[in-house]
Amino acid sequence: MKPSRIPLVTTCIVLAFFYLPIAALVAKSFNSSRFSPEWKGFTLKWYSRLFERDDILAALVNSLKVAVIAASASMLLGTCAAFALHRYKSRLQDAHRVMVNVPLVLPDILMGMSLLLLFIAAGVSLSLATVTIAHVTFCLSYVTLVVLARLQDFDPNIVEAARDLGATRFQAFRKITLPILFPGVLAGGLLAFTLSIDDYVVTFFVKGPGSDTLPTLVYSMIKKSKELPVINALSTLMLLFTFLLVFASQRLTRPVNR
Amino acid sequence: MKRRHFIATSSAALAAGFLPSCSGKSAKPKLTVFTWADYLSDEAKAAFEKAHGCEVVIDTFDSNEAMIAKIESGATGYDILVPSSYAVKQLESKGLLQPLDHTKLPNLGNIDKTYLTHALDPEMKISAPYMMAPTCVAYLKSKVPDAEPTWGLFSRADVKGRATLLDDMREVLGAALKNLGHSLNSTDPAQLEAAAALAIEWKTNIAKFENEQYKSGIASGEFHLVHGYAGDLIAVQAENGDIEIVIPKEGASFPCDDLCIPKSAKNADLAHAFINHLCDAEVAAENMEWIGYRAPNTAAYKSLTEDFRGSPILFPPDEVFSKCEPIGYLGDKLPLWTAAWEKVKNA
Repeated sequence: MKPSRIPLVTTCIVLAFFYLPIAALVAKSFNSSRFSPEWKGFTLKWYSRLFERDDILAALVNSLKVAVIAASASMLLGTCAAFALHRYKSRLQDAHRVMVNVPLVLPDILMGMSLLLLFIAAGVSLSLATVTIAHVTFCLSYVTLVVLARLQDFDPNIVEAARDLGATRFQAFRKITLPILFPGVLAGGLLAFTLSIDDYVVTFFVKGPGSDTLPTLVYSMIKKSKELPVINALSTLMLLFTFLLVFASQRLTRPVNR
Repeated sequence: MKRRHFIATSSAALAAGFLPSCSGKSAKPKLTVFTWADYLSDEAKAAFEKAHGCEVVIDTFDSNEAMIAKIESGATGYDILVPSSYAVKQLESKGLLQPLDHTKLPNLGNIDKTYLTHALDPEMKISAPYMMAPTCVAYLKSKVPDAEPTWGLFSRADVKGRATLLDDMREVLGAALKNLGHSLNSTDPAQLEAAAALAIEWKTNIAKFENEQYKSGIASGEFHLVHGYAGDLIAVQAENGDIEIVIPKEGASFPCDDLCIPKSAKNADLAHAFINHLCDAEVAAENMEWIGYRAPNTAAYKSLTEDFRGSPILFPPDEVFSKCEPIGYLGDKLPLWTAAWEKVKNA
């Protein structure tokens, strides 16, 4: 019997769906023509311009700072929230559960505007710090839900067994609960990172002078800039970096015993 | 071990993130400019920083409306705003701008008097014009033969399905009003009615209303006739010699972005100095060639390269330029326009 072709075809379609747009972007970053979809010759000029553009690099650094801090903070707070929701059943926690879910469906523009009004009322001057706080606000719900899902599959008997065997509360948490939950926490953190790094609407409202992130700068460049293709170059480099990171992590986490 | 490492790196990142934003860098005064990205040449910025021993901090926005929403909510920390003229009027009507002190702005004498006759703020009470570029029409010479520079091109049968108009109420209805011989900013209901009817006629002929793809569309020959912004079209033309750009003889919109100072500015003196700097003839000349727009600055025109000065798009002949208008602020007449535009979009 001939093996079915369906898996191969599906794989090809899925890969094409994912990577054709990216391939087009990568190709465009080497195209000397800015507008024409046709190939007008190989160039590295967008890359060389990119490294002269301090403002784009500063925006990239800002984006990364905000994303790393927002992801870390929401991992911490989100895990605490998930514990509270999982552990305690009360009216307060029911309300808590609703409040955690609301930001998931709240339009970004509403959240951006209300955060801006809050910061102004509190007399906080807008800066990278306000952007970070705002990002934690909307990332938190996602992390909480991911960790909560992981907690629901968690067998509390293991912790009790550890306590029976003489572990302190803290030891049981550190050696049992945390390692089991960690993949969930990390997945939540990565989700938060991606949400943070490409957020535009909320960021626009709460950013202050000198705290442009990559998305706000790119949106503005679309309007007047003559150098938009440098963004293709930047995206290509970021993709390359991401692929290397994924590749490295797969190499590192591969089981040692072969 | 791994976890400890993770905590160490994340707390390091945390510290790295907050420290620079908390510790005020130096005693250098700061001038913060809320503007469009890539809308100030590095040279003009560096020269100002050097002359005044200050730091110019740029923050960007991508639409006048979003910027106004933010300033209106009370966001402070900006010394200079660079909105389009109609948005300046809107900010002014909300009482968010401070008047310009002309004694600190001797270079305002350089501003193009011909432009000022059309400007929304002809006496420069609250704003100084910065950069302008018309909205125009581009076509492929080989596909649209004997093209007259007129808005009537959009009714031609041979561009059917191969033309685009901007997806912008002010630009499309404005163009239709111009074609009918009215003001670009007319609020006369009968004139708007007629303009909507003409825009509907165009709509049946064109491929679509489009703000982004028209550039690559005309570069590749997919579209034969497009309505677009001069800055973009000039860049596209450099890649495809078959493209011809024209300003219709009936006139077109020639929007200008202006420099103004919000009431909440902390450093109004430095802001005035910055406006004065940008209106300097040499600075304006260098800046406009870098950006690719026209600064309405008569004194700067003679310092421009011949190539740039010769552009019939940025520097159209007087009989065309006198018919061009900036996009005005409609105030409470806006619903008239949105109703007409609805009609066009739903037709």
